[in-house]
Amino acid sequence: MPATGGKGIVRIGFFGRLRDALGDECEVPAERGETVARLRTRLAGLHPGAAGDLLSPGVRAFVADEAVGEDFLLAGQERVEFLPPLSGG
Amino acid sequence: MSVRLADEPIAAERELAELTAGLTGEGAVVSFLGVARARSPEGEEVERLLLEHHPRLTMRSLEEIAASASERFGLSSLRIVHRRGAVAPGETIVFAAAAAVHRRAAFDAVDYMMDRLKTDAVFWKREDMREGSNWVEPSEEDREARARWSEAPCPE
Repeated sequence: MPATGGKGIVRIGFFGRLRDALGDECEVPAERGETVARLRTRLAGLHPGAAGDLLSPGVRAFVADEAVGEDFLLAGQERVEFLPPLSGG
Repeated sequence: MSVRLADEPIAAERELAELTAGLTGEGAVVSFLGVARARSPEGEEVERLLLEHHPRLTMRSLEEIAASASERFGLSSLRIVHRRGAVAPGETIVFAAAAAVHRRAAFDAVDYMMDRLKTDAVFWKREDMREGSNWVEPSEEDREARARWSEAPCPE
């Protein structure tokens, strides 16, 4: 379902060093027609201390457990997860 | 094929015994233990290692590595047990074992599983020192080890 002018909520999950900086999860009001790239920029503005990681191409975005590209269009209801580079086991 | 995440210390002897109890005539079993080091690569004393995981993608990655090893080396049985959460220096982080008809497949399978686990398993590791913490990324050596198993496309 598309965002309706900010009525939706995008939930964002963090892992690794991002989780240290920003906690497990946060929520932001959805914006109509927002892409993953735009969401990153918005989050970086809200959390300038973590902007380097939020904007890093090494930090991948996932929706519904699948990697998504920077131009992925958010519907405004989903949970977006940002995964820093893996450490491995 | 048995793959699981463990919150508590891994009893390697029991894991190996359970694997061997299920054998049906194989001639080779190889097992490996990865143990948490007491010092960081920079030589600092590590008080604990934190293994952060993803609620679904971590198991998916372990299962994919196990399935790939099983198919690639024709294993009859394998086991991966991986810790998550806080791990103390000296504790086992990972137990990986493989059973095969002949030894070479079993050795290679465990080598392959560990190289894949070190780079492709969905974990984030943080070394906690007395003062400060450090998020770990795979070393160049880990990446080179992983690349040994890459399958180049066949020329047409």
